[in-house]
Amino acid sequence: MSMETILAQTVVNGLMVGMIYMLMAIGFTMVFGIMRIVNFAHGEFYMVGAFMFAIFYGSYEVPFALSLLLAIVTTALVGLVMERLVFSRFRGNELNGMIASVGVALIMQNAALLIWGPSPRSVPAVVSGVISFGGIVFPWSRVVVIIGALIAVGLLYVLIAHTQLGRAMRAVAQDAEIALAQGIRVEVIFPLAFVLGVALAALAGALMAPVLSVSPFVGLAPTLKAFVIVVIGGLGSVPGAVAGGLLIGLIESFAGTFMSAALAEILQFIVVIAVVLLRPQGLLGRKEREA
Amino acid sequence: MLRFAVLAVAVLATGSASAETLTIGINATLSGAGAVFGEGMALAATNFADEVNAKGGLKIGGKSYTIELKKYDDRYRAQDAVTAMERLILEDKVKYVVGPMGSASTLATQARTNGDQILTLTMAFTPKALSPQLPFSFRPAITTAEFTGPQLAWLGKTLALKRVRALAPNDETGQSVAASQKEAYAAIGVNLEVDFFERERVDFIPILTRALAQTDALEIGGNSPTTAGLLVKQARELGYKGPIFVTGGDVTAELVKVAGKQAAEGVYVHLPIDISKPETAGYIKAFEAKFKQPANGHNLFIYSGLQMLTAAMQKAGTVDDTAKVAKELQGLANFPTVLGTAGWTGDKRYGIDHQIDVPFYVGQIKDGVVAKVATCSVTACN
Repeated sequence: MSMETILAQTVVNGLMVGMIYMLMAIGFTMVFGIMRIVNFAHGEFYMVGAFMFAIFYGSYEVPFALSLLLAIVTTALVGLVMERLVFSRFRGNELNGMIASVGVALIMQNAALLIWGPSPRSVPAVVSGVISFGGIVFPWSRVVVIIGALIAVGLLYVLIAHTQLGRAMRAVAQDAEIALAQGIRVEVIFPLAFVLGVALAALAGALMAPVLSVSPFVGLAPTLKAFVIVVIGGLGSVPGAVAGGLLIGLIESFAGTFMSAALAEILQFIVVIAVVLLRPQGLLGRKEREA
Repeated sequence: MLRFAVLAVAVLATGSASAETLTIGINATLSGAGAVFGEGMALAATNFADEVNAKGGLKIGGKSYTIELKKYDDRYRAQDAVTAMERLILEDKVKYVVGPMGSASTLATQARTNGDQILTLTMAFTPKALSPQLPFSFRPAITTAEFTGPQLAWLGKTLALKRVRALAPNDETGQSVAASQKEAYAAIGVNLEVDFFERERVDFIPILTRALAQTDALEIGGNSPTTAGLLVKQARELGYKGPIFVTGGDVTAELVKVAGKQAAEGVYVHLPIDISKPETAGYIKAFEAKFKQPANGHNLFIYSGLQMLTAAMQKAGTVDDTAKVAKELQGLANFPTVLGTAGWTGDKRYGIDHQIDVPFYVGQIKDGVVAKVATCSVTACN
C-alpha cells in the first residue's frame, strides 16, 4: 500500500469513526445544554440500544430498519423511566446530577451483566464486503453506519432549526425561566430532550452492534469519547459536538496509524487540556454570562 | 430395637464426624473482556464440585469432604485480585485456590499465597508464575512459552514468512506473550513487530491500517476472545486476505462468534484440546448439556488441574498439609484427566516441575469450527 493510499485510508477511517463519536456527543451535549446534567450514563443507553438491536435483529430476525426502530424506542422508554425517576430531580444541579449519572451508569451496567451475562454477543452483519476506490477501502458495514448517522444528524438539524419543538428546545437551553415566561412548557421539553439524547445514543449503539460486538461493558468508551468531544466542542453546543466528533475521529485515526495507540490517547487529552486552557468554553461553545 | 437405635446413633455420629467441607477458592476474571476465560474456570470448578458432591464427597484420610466454592471477581485487575485473595485467605480460610487468571493478578498475589502455603492453580501465561521460590504455584495450562516455539516452527515451515505484525494488549499479559512470541519468531528467522494498545480498545482500524500494509501475516495471540474476534473482523473489513495466527490461549469459539464464520475462515489457532479423544469429547458433551455454553480450554485445564489436585490430596491423606499435597501433586505422572494423560514438566525452563505436561495442537478454522492440522509436544509439531 502506497503512502498516499494509507493517508487517504486514514482520513476515511477517521471520518467513519468520527461520525459515531459525533452521534454520541450530540446526545450528550443536548442533555447538558438543556438540563445542565453531565450524563455519564449516556454510554449505557448506547449499550442498551446495542443489546436491543442484537435481540431484535440477531435473535428474532426482525428486519434491519424495524429492529433499528424498535431498539431506539425501547431504549428511549428506558431513558424516559430514568429521567422521571432520577435525572428530573437533578436539573440544573450539575455536580449532584453528574454523581447521580455515575450511579445510574453502574446500575445499568450491572443490571445488563445480570440479565445478559458477561459474554460478548455477536450480531450478524447487515451487509458484508468492501468497496474500494484507488486502493482505499470502505467496509460496507461502516458505510451503513455513516449513512445512518448522517440521516439522524440531518433529521435532528431539521427538528432543532425548523420546528416549533426545536425552537422551544433552543429557548430552554438559552434560559429556562425566560422560556417558561414565554409560555413554553419546560416540564415537557426537559424529558423530551433527554429522551432525544438517549435515542441518539441508542441509534449509535444499534448501528455499531453489527460492526463491533455487544457486551455490558461497551458503553464506557463511548461515554468517555463523548465527554472529551463536548469539552473540545463546547458543552451544550450541537455544532461543537459535530466538529469535535470529527476532529477526535481524525486525531485518533492519524495518531493510531502513524504513531501508536497509546500516543493517540495521549494526544486526545493534550488537545482537551489545550482547549480548556486556551478556550474554556470549547471551540464552538458560548461563554457563560457573568451574573 | 435398642440395639438398632444404638447402631443408628453410631452411624449418624460417625457420619457427622467424617462429614467435612473442603473450601476451594476461585480468584478469576468474571466480568469484562476476559470474563469468558474466568467463567470457564469457575464453571469447571462448579462442575467438578457438583460431580464430587453427587458421589458423596471426596474420600481423604478416612473422612468424606464436600467441596464448597468461594468465588471472587478480579475484573482482570491486579489490585482486585489481591483483595479477592485476602478475602479467600482471611475470611474464607481457604488453602486451595483456582486462579488467579491473569499474569498481573498472579504476580501481585504469589508472594502472599506461597508465604501462607496456599496452593494455587494459576492460569497466568507469564514465565514468572513458576519458579523454585514458588513451591505452591502450579499451572495446569499450556502457555505461549510451551506452545509458541513448536507451533511457529511448524507454521513457518508450512507458510513462507519473512515479517509478521502482532497486536497485543499493553499490560503484563500482553507484554509477556509478545516477548515470548518475538523470541519464537526470531528462532525461525522471522522479524516480529508488535503494536501495543489499551486492553479496553474495540476499534482497531487505525492500527490495522498501518500494520497490514507492512506484513506477511498478522499475529493476534495473547488477546481476549472478544478482542481477537474484533481484530479478525476488522482486518477482513479492510480487505486483508493474508494469514492470521492466534498463537495464544484457546479463543476459537468466541472468536468465531464475534468475527463471524466468513471472517474467521482460515485463521490458524492454538488448539489446547483434541475433541476426538473420547474422554475430552465426553466431558465437553456433558458440560455443554448441563451449562448450555461451550467448554473452552481454560475450563478443561482447570477441570484437569482439579482432578490432579484432589488425587494428590487423596495420596497425601490430608487437605490441611498443603506442603504434603504439593509434593504428591508434583509427583503425579501419566495421570488420566479429561485432556488425556497428564503429568508435570518445566524444570528446564522454570526450575520446577509445576507446568502441566499434555499434548497440544495447531488448528485451522474451517466453516466456523477448528480442524486439527498438527499435533505438538513441547519439542515439536507434526
